[in-house]
Amino acid sequence: MNLKNLTGPLSANNPIIVQILGICSALAVTVKMEPAFVMGLSVIVVTAFANLVMSLLRKGIPSRIRIIVQLVVIAALVILVDQFLKAFVYDVSKQLSVYVGLIITNCIIMGRVEAYALGNKPWDSFMDGVGNGLGYAAILLIVAFFRELFGSGTLFDIRIIPESWYIANGGFYSNVGIMLFPPMALIIVGVIIWVHRSFNKDLQEK
Amino acid sequence: MAKFNVNSNAYIIIYSIVMVVVVAVLLAVTSLSLQSRQNENMLNEKRQQIVKALGENPETASYADVVAEAAMLDKGGKAISGKSEADVFSALNDLTASFEAGEFPVFKAKNGCVVIPVYGAGLWGPIWGYIALEPDMNTIKGIVMDHSGETPGLGAEITTDKVQSSFVGKTIFEGAELVSVSMRKGGATNNHEVDAISGGTKTCDGVNAMLKTCLEDYLPYLNTNKSN
Repeated sequence: MNLKNLTGPLSANNPIIVQILGICSALAVTVKMEPAFVMGLSVIVVTAFANLVMSLLRKGIPSRIRIIVQLVVIAALVILVDQFLKAFVYDVSKQLSVYVGLIITNCIIMGRVEAYALGNKPWDSFMDGVGNGLGYAAILLIVAFFRELFGSGTLFDIRIIPESWYIANGGFYSNVGIMLFPPMALIIVGVIIWVHRSFNKDLQEK
Repeated sequence: MAKFNVNSNAYIIIYSIVMVVVVAVLLAVTSLSLQSRQNENMLNEKRQQIVKALGENPETASYADVVAEAAMLDKGGKAISGKSEADVFSALNDLTASFEAGEFPVFKAKNGCVVIPVYGAGLWGPIWGYIALEPDMNTIKGIVMDHSGETPGLGAEITTDKVQSSFVGKTIFEGAELVSVSMRKGGATNNHEVDAISGGTKTCDGVNAMLKTCLEDYLPYLNTNKSN
């Protein structure tokens, strides 16, 4: 059923915390909520359409050049997304800068094309792509929430922790600098995996 | 599909050729159809940064309200005639090449201030910006800086109002000597210094070098206009 393709990747089969795909970009774009949000959206679009196109083409693709075809389709989609961002939401595209291009290397997309789209019907594949993109975006936003709140004291660039709390203004608080660095994203992802597995006993390795 | 052998060499070659041509056409059409929009966005951003450097709010004041003229200077600080506004803006796309060719863009505001574009290298990649000087060609009216990949929260703080506003009112000349303005570790001690960003020392060094070298290129122009 289609619905399962959509909801499965949100938790029980989440690309980042269960399939362990796409960690690299999760570390890079989660310093702030806004880029994480747009990155999530872009990846949803690319995974969904990469899955759809590959699923439509799946019977005609020569298996020997399968990976090359996947790469061409994915790269073309990413360039399209990048061009549209530059034309219509220039500010955001500036913020994401090189990371949009790096969607090409996001393992989720190729992973899902290879594992799902090549063997399933277009509509199911499309939903699988949307689902995996959503699962990715959800984790990105959770990580970015903690990193931006404790690293910069803001959420979506809106100040949450009052200026007057800061030591510089005579308060007691200062931002947690390590939150801004990639290792902290890895630690947060680790904590999320830990929490997630403690609620989903069937995912625990024996 | 059954009658083709999808793994024959001929099929693979034809498949690749068709695929590449289709994708190339698709991307070329998209790129061409969105290009004017993208260029417009980039031009707008530059205009907004110039307006912001002049201390105006780009939301309320338009470029045309604030800036009187965009000019191109030669090495001696004299305006090169026959350069349109479009030429000046296109020079901003590659300031390195423009400076090497001996062409220095400058924007003159209606209130007598001038805006000078600057570029340099931060810790991870290029940094650039616009510095606006008061009509005395000495006091900083405002500065806008941007970067492509400085560390968020550290070097990237150069884009914040907090850092940029600390440059306002500082002076770049000590007597007749151009000393520029630098970001000093440990806090500003005189009127040619502003506080550096802790943890962003390399980026601050880059900003110092950027301002110094670029302002030096404009020295003849600044001297001429200062004495007037």
